[in-house]
Amino acid sequence: MIAMAREQRLAEIFVEVADSLVEDFDVIDLLQRLSSRCVELLDVSAAGILLVDAHGELQIIAASDEHTRLLELFALQHDQGPCVECYRSGAARTNIDLTRPETTAAWPRFAAQARETGYVITHAIPLRLRNRVVGALNLFQTGAHRLGDGDIALAQALADVATIAVLQQRTLEQSHVENSQLQTALTSRILIEQVKGVLAERWNTSVDDAFAAFRSYARSRQLRLSDLAARIIGGDFDTRMIPPPPSATGGRPEERRA
Amino acid sequence: MAEVLRSLRLDAGGDPAQACARVLGAEGVALSLLVGADRTAEPLWCHPELSARFEELQFTLGEGPGPDAVRTGSPVLEPDLERVRPERWPVLLPAARDMGVQGVCGFPLGIGAIRVGVLTVLCDGDRRISEQQFTDATALAAVLTGAFLNGNGHVNGTAPGPDRMPAWPTGLNRPVVHQATGMISVQLGVSIQEALLRLRAHAYGSERPLGEVAEDVVARRLRFGGELDDDISGPYSPEGGKG
Repeated sequence: MIAMAREQRLAEIFVEVADSLVEDFDVIDLLQRLSSRCVELLDVSAAGILLVDAHGELQIIAASDEHTRLLELFALQHDQGPCVECYRSGAARTNIDLTRPETTAAWPRFAAQARETGYVITHAIPLRLRNRVVGALNLFQTGAHRLGDGDIALAQALADVATIAVLQQRTLEQSHVENSQLQTALTSRILIEQVKGVLAERWNTSVDDAFAAFRSYARSRQLRLSDLAARIIGGDFDTRMIPPPPSATGGRPEERRA
Repeated sequence: MAEVLRSLRLDAGGDPAQACARVLGAEGVALSLLVGADRTAEPLWCHPELSARFEELQFTLGEGPGPDAVRTGSPVLEPDLERVRPERWPVLLPAARDMGVQGVCGFPLGIGAIRVGVLTVLCDGDRRISEQQFTDATALAAVLTGAFLNGNGHVNGTAPGPDRMPAWPTGLNRPVVHQATGMISVQLGVSIQEALLRLRAHAYGSERPLGEVAEDVVARRLRFGGELDDDISGPYSPEGGKG
């Protein structure tokens, strides 16, 4: 019965993704939803999707939750960690025990920070585009249970969906080169981090809370996260329109500029 | 590629545009920087002369892969201009045809909302851009972004010694750096680009890693001053954080 329910859920997720791909969609938001679905379906604690950038390094593009602590853990993997190994070899690295020094000897800093955050097992699944690898799906568990072959195959299927989502994203005018979609996604991600800072400062709140308010506003208005972020940073959007998070204590709702 | 990047050192002699064109296997290359308050595109390097004329044309008209890449922050790839809908760039397309320009790709220089400039690549008669060319062009755009973020005379707010800062600082991969940049831009009332420069200048001046300084900003242990000094970045550490 449990397997049945999961298959059904998986089918629903594929339909959800397929629906999203039909029109101009928000790739970051979609990947974020997909990361959350990984957590739900695979019974892991956190999931993140990393893409390779122009420097050949992995960058976090979306995560099941946006807590800065988790984002920083993904960010550490620009040059070390299981995702880097997975990216370079093209092979999945699964059921890595973060508590055993011999398995983590190649990337002690990453392992230490992952353990501090409470994770004991991690997995890295490649995002494959034909014969090359464009990124990785990274999973973390706080519990020590192993993922079986069926789970890994499912994780790979979700990783493939993520790849399709990134590469399907089309701007209005261009359609024929997949690589530029990767670049666009990476740029959007940084833009979103920048706007988190802008809003956190205006509202005098944490970046995590600022993001939650920003995202729920964007979703309610069906605005793309990166479009809204660009308008805010460009000064073309009055941020008083966005209901601030409950934690906001910023005296002035809008900064005055000299 | 690494060798060519070395040969492109900004202080080295020679013609960097020519070197770019060679490494990319392109007909021509032009690099324009966005300058001044209205972010006008100013050509910095062009090779050959055809590239210079095309660069002038696309930015005068505001049409083409260069201006579009600046606007969107994404690469705009049209290696075969014959396949572009005429109404997309109505004035540019016929003019480009007359000039003998067959295909054009624009690669933005920037980080997130920060836009520094654009690299425009003229494609050869193949009317396509290979994966390798794309990878090389984006890598080149990234390296040039790092170099030009250091100021090189076109940033108004002057921070101490930006020219001596490393071309591509470590730490830019960390979300916390971009979050801190956003916060500082509000604290100082400056552009996001200048905010990053101030953050980097502070890290450089205090000999601390960029990420560590950014962590302090995001945790509100460090704040960039309310005074709009042209002096130094002028951050102060509020005692016990903000109440």
